Amino acid sequence: MIVLIAIITSFLRILNPYDVNPKMRLLPPSCHNLFGTDQFGRDILARTLAGSRVSLIVGMSVALLSLVFGIPLGLVSGYFRPASLFLMRLIDALMAFPSILLALALMAILGKPSLVNVIITVGIVYIPRVARLVYSATVVLRETTFVEAARAIGSSTFRILWRHILVNLISIVIVQSTFTFAFAVLEAAALDFLGVGIPPEIPSWGGMINENRLYLTIAPWTVVFPGFFLLLTVLSLNLLGDNLRDFLDPYLRRLV
Amino acid sequence: MISFLIKRLAALVPTVLLVITLSFFLLHMIPGDPAAVLLGPNATPEQIAALKHSLGLDRPVFVQYVKYMARVLRGDFGNSIYFQQPVLKVVLSHAEASFLLATLGLMVVILLGVSSGVTSAVLSRTAYDKVFLTFALLGASIPSFWLGLLLILLFGVRLRVFPTSGFVSVLSTGNLSNLRYLVLPALTLGAVNSAVVARVTRSAMLEVLHQQYIDVARAKGLNSANVILKHALRNAAIPIVTVLGFVFAGMMATAVVTENVFAIPGIGRLVVQSVLRRDYPMIQGIMVLVAFLYLVVNLATDIVYTILDPRIRLT
Repeated sequence: MIVLIAIITSFLRILNPYDVNPKMRLLPPSCHNLFGTDQFGRDILARTLAGSRVSLIVGMSVALLSLVFGIPLGLVSGYFRPASLFLMRLIDALMAFPSILLALALMAILGKPSLVNVIITVGIVYIPRVARLVYSATVVLRETTFVEAARAIGSSTFRILWRHILVNLISIVIVQSTFTFAFAVLEAAALDFLGVGIPPEIPSWGGMINENRLYLTIAPWTVVFPGFFLLLTVLSLNLLGDNLRDFLDPYLRRLV
Repeated sequence: MISFLIKRLAALVPTVLLVITLSFFLLHMIPGDPAAVLLGPNATPEQIAALKHSLGLDRPVFVQYVKYMARVLRGDFGNSIYFQQPVLKVVLSHAEASFLLATLGLMVVILLGVSSGVTSAVLSRTAYDKVFLTFALLGASIPSFWLGLLLILLFGVRLRVFPTSGFVSVLSTGNLSNLRYLVLPALTLGAVNSAVVARVTRSAMLEVLHQQYIDVARAKGLNSANVILKHALRNAAIPIVTVLGFVFAGMMATAVVTENVFAIPGIGRLVVQSVLRRDYPMIQGIMVLVAFLYLVVNLATDIVYTILDPRIRLT
C-alpha cells in the first residue's frame, strides 16, 4: 500500500509538497486540503505522501546495505575461527553503542545532513546486527554433516559457503531484513526529528513532525498525519516480517 | 562466584578497549583538519595551530592514540569545547534526569510489559489475548517521538494533568512531587519498550504453563495465583530477564529521543546538542560512558540469571 502510494505520487505532480501559500497557513483539514496545511501554507497531505518516498528509499537502501556487508562478514567470521576473534569483538563493540547514539556520532563525523549520509549512517548501525545473525547461524551450520560431506568431496571453501551454508540461512536473513527495513525507517525518522537527518526542505515524516511540533497545540493535524503514516509503514513491515517468519521453515529459527 | 566475576570482567576488557578505540577514531574520521572543523570557518591559522597543540593533534597518530587510551582509562575524557569544562563533569551534571527517567521507564516496562504478558499467556486464545497482541505490535511500531507528542497533546494540553515539558531536579530541591515532570516521558519510554517485553513474557509463560510440574501444582490444590506467580513466572524468568537487559539498551536509545521531545536536560539531549554544536570531545566521552554502562548492565543480567536459576553454573 505505502509502496504504491510512494510510486503513484512520484508520477502525480498535482499536489506540490513545496507550494508555499502564505494566505493558507495552519488551516485545519478541509475538503480543499484533506490533511490541513502547515505554517507556510503547504499541503500536509502532499508533504506526507512525498515523505513516504524518502522513508522507503532510506529503509530499502539500509536493508540492502546491511545484507551486502553483513552477510559476507558473518559468513567469514562464522566459518573461519581466527577471523571471528577479531571481527566479532569489533561487532560486539559496535553493538555496545545504542543504535541512535552511534547514528548521531556518525552523522557528526559525516558533517552535513543529507539523504546519502543518513543511509550510510543507519546502514553502519545495522550491518553488525545482520553480521551477528549470519555468524551465529554459520557456526551451527559449519558443524552439520552435509557441510562435512561437501568438504570431504573436495568442494572449495567458496562453494561450501555459497552453495551449502548461505542457501540454508537465507530465509532467516530475509525475515531479518524486513525488520531491518522497519527499524531503519524508524531510526531515520528519529534522526530527522532530532534535526540531524535529511535537510528540512525535503519532506520527510520525522522532519515534518519536528518542524510542526511548535504548532502542536494550535494545529495538531500537522503532527498527527505524518506520524500516523510512519506508524502505518512500520506496522505493515513488522506484520510482513512476522508472517514471513511463521511461513518459512520454523527449524531455522532454532539455529539462532 | 568471585572467580566467575573475574572471568567475566576479563572478557569485557577487549570490548572496552575496542569501544575506546572506536571513539578515538571518531575524531580522526572527520574529513579534513579536525581542529579547523572544531573552530569553525572564522578561525585564524594561529588559533588552529594552538588548538591542534592543546588537543595533541600535531603528534603522530600512534602517540595520540596511546595517550588518549591512557587518559580515558584514568577517567579523563578531556574538556568539552562548548562548556569549557571537563566532559565527565558535564555528563554527571546531566545524569540525574536521565537516571530518574530510565528508572521510571523501567518501572513502566516491568509493570506494563510483564503483567500484560503474564495475563495474556494465562488467557491465551481469548479476545483479551488478541487485543493484547495487537497492542504489542502497535507498541513495537510506534515512533516514540510521535507517541510523546500525542501524550503531550492529550494529558498536557487537553486534560492539563501533567506538565508538558521541562524538568526540575529532585535531588537539589528534595521535592518528590517534581517527579511529575517525568510522568509523560516515562510513559512514552515505557510504552514503546514494553511491547517486546510483553511478547517475550507471553511466549515464555506459554511454554512453562504446559509443563507437567504446573499440572502437579494445580493437582495439589494450590490456587491459580500461586501457581502462576510462584511456579510459572519464576521458571519463565530467564528469557524475561534477558529481554529486560536488552530493552535497557533500547531504552537508552529511546531516551535520547524522548528527552528531546520533553526538553529534559539529560544525557540524551546533551548528546544531540553536542552533535549540533560539533562538540566532539563531548560526543566521544558520552559514547564511551554509555557503551561502558551497557556492558555493565549486560554483566549484571548474567549475574541475575544465576540468582534466579541456581542450576546455571558459574563458569
